[in-house]
Amino acid sequence: MPKPWKKKQSHIEVSEGGAIPTRNDWGLFSAWRIAFFGAILMVVCLVFFKPDPYLDILKFLPDGILVTFKVTLMSIALSLVFGLIAGLGRISENRLFNGISSLYVEIIRGIPLLVQLFYIYYALGQVVNLSAITCAVVSMSICYGAYIAEIFRAGIKSIPEGQTEAARSLGMTPFQTMRYVILPQAVKTILPPVGNEFVALLKDSSLVSILAVSDLLRRGREFAAQSFDYFEAFTMVALFYLIITLILSKLVGIMEDKINVD
Amino acid sequence: MSTDQIIVQIEHVSKYFGSFKALSDVSLDVYDGEKLVIIGPSGSGKSTLLRAINLLECVDEGRIIVDGTNIVDPTADINKIREEVGMVFQSFNLFPHKTVMENVNLAQMIVRKRSKEEATKISTELLKKVDILEKENDYPGKLSGGQQQRVAIARALAMKPKIMLFDEPTSALDPEMIGEVLTVMKKLAREGITMIVVTHEMGFAREVADRIIFMDSGMIVEQGTPRDFFEHTKNERAKAFLDKIL
Ligand SMILES: Nc1ncnc2c1ncn2[C@@H]1O[C@H](COP(=O)(O)OP(=O)(O)OP(=O)(O)O)[C@@H](O)[C@H]1O
Ligand SMILES: [Mg+2]
Repeated sequence: MPKPWKKKQSHIEVSEGGAIPTRNDWGLFSAWRIAFFGAILMVVCLVFFKPDPYLDILKFLPDGILVTFKVTLMSIALSLVFGLIAGLGRISENRLFNGISSLYVEIIRGIPLLVQLFYIYYALGQVVNLSAITCAVVSMSICYGAYIAEIFRAGIKSIPEGQTEAARSLGMTPFQTMRYVILPQAVKTILPPVGNEFVALLKDSSLVSILAVSDLLRRGREFAAQSFDYFEAFTMVALFYLIITLILSKLVGIMEDKINVD
Repeated sequence: MSTDQIIVQIEHVSKYFGSFKALSDVSLDVYDGEKLVIIGPSGSGKSTLLRAINLLECVDEGRIIVDGTNIVDPTADINKIREEVGMVFQSFNLFPHKTVMENVNLAQMIVRKRSKEEATKISTELLKKVDILEKENDYPGKLSGGQQQRVAIARALAMKPKIMLFDEPTSALDPEMIGEVLTVMKKLAREGITMIVVTHEMGFAREVADRIIFMDSGMIVEQGTPRDFFEHTKNERAKAFLDKIL
């Protein structure tokens, strides 16, 4: 069913992360295919024709992939929560809520993620005892929450004031207005840039390897340190990152399509 | 049609935007069932006054009593009051992600807690009344302005309000669509609901209004029945306005 109002949808500037293919974007779609199947083919060939050391690497890395998945998924979930709360705070009329949210966004966006990771692990680690993986997830979520908050804020702001007024004049509470009128419309503007943040988050999760979290990158380093096969180990690490990043961006693209069709 | 019961009582209301005084000591009683038309030049405070009645604008001084409740009181239940007061906007403000039927159903279900069947029954009735039932499954973006405004009227009526506010409901419409909206409003007027209408449609005012209020610079400067107002007003500003508009 055609929906003329979809055309009016405004786009929020995309900051980083891979391009997300959509169904009608054939150029990108085939680029995605070439990269994805090319990477898989390359892994298969390397393992098949040169099992030493590639087969060993292949057996060594999956533990790290699981950790990378775990960190990424938990960080995505938690950063969405932080992002929604802070995003609502940024548009709230409550001075305190608004002030704290704005401060959070400004401070976090002004400090590099790597520094935040060190800070939470080493500085806070002296005060409270947190596991490396908890520190990693918390820092990633706090950091990405700040970026996602800005996307939520922009998305919500892009809905005309008249929508809120109409909903409120029908007796809806501010919560009901947000839940049934504003967010369902804003999600179409919010999802593409948030999806990009997810992909960027997946890649940035490699930074947590400095905290002794055995993610994909760290496992690669561990293998290389034992066998001195640096080139081979990091080739496989890069291929694995490429494959899972492409899968995630595909999933985000599918999700977008679904939301636009519904 | 009007009884002597007052349903909206505005007492010495003032409203500032920064240092600008948009409403200046406005007092007005609206009777149950009355059709009140507010006219006046642009920027005279008509919208602000209308929006104050359902608290889309909060006032700085004075009291507004709607159906027995002082809505300016911070402890008043705003959502409850808004259920009693329907509002129709110049720009329709239909929910673009909902179909016509869903637009009319939504607040019935989440605010009035009606079941979907019950809401749909009421919506069907109202969409028939505003003569747009055949579009029930379309999205607002596919409708003309006049059709959208009629859906917006049905949506407001679905809450069974005691009072309907209209803020220039035909000003955003192409001339050929004004008539269909005014027809619906006239039909509504005959049913006895209280209506407060800001409009530049003088024909409508003449035909429907029990009383006309003329505002200028945030004040009510003249009021009377359409006959008195259009033919015998002595107020200079009202005369100048009528000369320009008629
Ligand atoms: N949110 C606001 N902030 C600042 N000034 C405002 C605001 N809303 C209205 N005003 C000012 O208050 C005055 C009255 O506005 P209002 O909208 O009530 O006028 P109106 O009589 O409805 O005019 P129009 O016929 O143009 O709709 C105008 O001068 C307007 O500029
Ligand atoms: Mg106005």
